Amino acid sequence: MTIMDFQEKYKNRHEIAKQWKKDGKKIFGYFCGYVPEELIGAAGIIPVRILGSLDKVSLADSHIQSFICAFGRSCLDQGLKGTYDYLDGIVVSKTCDIMRNMLGIWSRNIEVPFTFYIGAPSKRTEAARTCLIEEFKLLRSKLEEFTGKSIDDNSINQSIESYNQSRKLLKELYELRAEDNPPLSGSDFYHIVKAGFVTPKKEYNEMLLELKSKLTSSESSDGKGVRLLISGSTFEDVNILKMIEDSGGTVVSDDLCVGSRYFWDLIEPASDPIRALADRYQMRVTCPCKHPSDERLERILDEVKKHRVQGVISIVQKFCDTHLFEYPYMRDLLQENDMPFLYLETEDRLGEEGQFKTRVQAFLEMLR
Amino acid sequence: MSEKKPVKKKRLKTAEKLGELMKDYYTESAMIKSQKKPVAWLTSVAPVEICYAMDVFPVYPENYATICAARKLSAEFCEAAEAKGYSTDLCSYALNNFGSIYLNKGPFMGQGLPEPDLLIATEHACLSMAKWWEALSRHFDVPLYVVDSSLPVGEDVASYQIKYFADQLEELVEFIEKHTGNKFDMKRFKEVLRYSDQASSLFLEIAEFRKTVPSPVSPIEMFTNMFPLVTLAGKKEAVEFYKELRDEIKDLVDRGVPAVPNEKYRLIWDLFPVWYNLKLFPYMEEKGGVVVADVYATAFGGSIDISRPFEGLAERYVGNPLLSYGIGEYIELYKQMIKDFHVDGIVFHSNRSCRMASMGQYEVKQGIYNDLGIPGVVFETDFVDPRSYSDEQVKDTLDSFFEILETRK
Ligand code: SF4
Ligand code: SF4
Repeated sequence: MTIMDFQEKYKNRHEIAKQWKKDGKKIFGYFCGYVPEELIGAAGIIPVRILGSLDKVSLADSHIQSFICAFGRSCLDQGLKGTYDYLDGIVVSKTCDIMRNMLGIWSRNIEVPFTFYIGAPSKRTEAARTCLIEEFKLLRSKLEEFTGKSIDDNSINQSIESYNQSRKLLKELYELRAEDNPPLSGSDFYHIVKAGFVTPKKEYNEMLLELKSKLTSSESSDGKGVRLLISGSTFEDVNILKMIEDSGGTVVSDDLCVGSRYFWDLIEPASDPIRALADRYQMRVTCPCKHPSDERLERILDEVKKHRVQGVISIVQKFCDTHLFEYPYMRDLLQENDMPFLYLETEDRLGEEGQFKTRVQAFLEMLR
Repeated sequence: MSEKKPVKKKRLKTAEKLGELMKDYYTESAMIKSQKKPVAWLTSVAPVEICYAMDVFPVYPENYATICAARKLSAEFCEAAEAKGYSTDLCSYALNNFGSIYLNKGPFMGQGLPEPDLLIATEHACLSMAKWWEALSRHFDVPLYVVDSSLPVGEDVASYQIKYFADQLEELVEFIEKHTGNKFDMKRFKEVLRYSDQASSLFLEIAEFRKTVPSPVSPIEMFTNMFPLVTLAGKKEAVEFYKELRDEIKDLVDRGVPAVPNEKYRLIWDLFPVWYNLKLFPYMEEKGGVVVADVYATAFGGSIDISRPFEGLAERYVGNPLLSYGIGEYIELYKQMIKDFHVDGIVFHSNRSCRMASMGQYEVKQGIYNDLGIPGVVFETDFVDPRSYSDEQVKDTLDSFFEILETRK
């Protein structure tokens, strides 16, 4: 098992999905890490994360404005081009305003038999969780209606268990990156996480286990890189990370929507599995879409200390309101903590153009 | 360069009164600190009624931004906010607000808004509001309460969603009591709700008059007359104002007086005006295009069930069609309006600042065209930040739209 295998999974994800389809399986898509995949999995449906691509956006332009984030535009564009025609359903959770509008536009233009919108509250309170429980219950019954089969607690618990195992394994790998000579680069790790979005958990967990057993015995990096934490929203272009690493950085920690925020919190088993799910999804490490967002920043500071981070690089999607609102605060907070900070705003295709390269190099130079 | 123009007499008598109401409000706002009355900054669609019921003075940075824009201050304010690191792509209501704080400047007596003692935000209109208020709370170091929501999109609001919102309204009352010492009084609250309810139903009534051909009210009159509906919701003055306005407009209807001579094309205006260039309305009117409908009346005009005050208020806010409608519902709403208001076309103002509200516009335009053959046009600007505005471009777009309308007549 090598990183290549993970990369392949992601690269061939649409072909693989089409094969599942031929085998009679049902596949659902979701955009954001606040959708309870466990529940979809428990219904016997394979959940896959919808992500953008590096293709030029063409069809989406006549459906949404150019001032929508590149991620949103690219996802819709892929949908319009038919890339996601294999989906039997889409589940969206209210996070940012783009996600809130996306489902309506998607389902008017791209045929999809099942849609569900989770009105998810933003606060991390008991009352908010109670509300989310109602929403998850409704999702459960709609899924039952859709498949014609009831979803019993036991199958949800089993599903939770395999997701938990995934998260645990990812966390272990994540921690390996923080070692003195990390055996795993940031971009490698990114490939691993992304494969997880599109691979059924049972198979994925086996892949992770195998990789883990190999990694500890394989040779490590030289440990000379500048230790970095990468923060930000979602992005597609893994070349950005690669470029940072090629310039002499070592990504030892992250605060990414497509990184640690996705797997950070496990689900605490409870007698009512829906409640257990709501607990995690309402209370988990916040993304800036949730309120209050201080805990996210506190976690970044914790990570910085724990992993002897020398600098933070923030990669934010242009037009991503929630991250943009938080940027000045984050900058000041890091400054107060004497933590060097570099801010990069992307439209997802800039990595290869080398626009950031000189800035990243100068930043790393300063830290060496 | 500012030329002194002769003061033009307003067409509507009641409009003079609006000026007074605004002046009173902003004068009180300028003096409020010396009166030791607690000040709360509110996002739009926040429960201002609770503030009025508890003697807290409500301040609306969003309404303020529209005034700053009209007085040509917003470019400077946005720049000041950007200098602190806020992206130019963020909502310019927010940038305008941050900038006026940093520069402590404003259109009224030269100064900015009175500093808040409390901050109250909702996030069901857009998520930026919660983020913006969080930033304010850090800047002023004052307590913030966010009224959160679970929202359906295009489905009926569920009872647990109303309950979640209503429970928070009660929590908000405790929050205000705790931080100001002001006590909540149910009788007073109900009275405030009654006024708010009356004001909004009067506003709806006024909007209904626009079904008359030709329309008795102009869009500028409608948009500027929204001030009491939003800012003074729950005050007796707002009710009195709208009664007068209603009577005046009813009289115009009875006498068959049009707002705009030569009304030729009746239009729906989608979303915000371009606040620094309200002259776009007269520009269209010269060509015979009169805006006769918009969604604000529907959005702010919901009634309140006063017998269940907190739930009633929650239903009003969470049920706001502008916020909970899916694209399909939106199209249906417009189709109904097209029929009722005898509409020939729709002008969509795509506002770079507001991704939340602008994101579905292309779909709505296309959907209505497909179903009814009624044409629409989309033009893009920022509603408060004029720096990249091109009057020529906007007018070109509108001109070609009028050509289309012409061929259809
Ligand atoms: S940052 Fe958070 S809310 Fe936004 S898309 Fe990612 S997981 Fe979802
Ligand atoms: S990148 Fe930002 S704006 Fe775009 S979908 Fe993700 S959270 Fe929303």
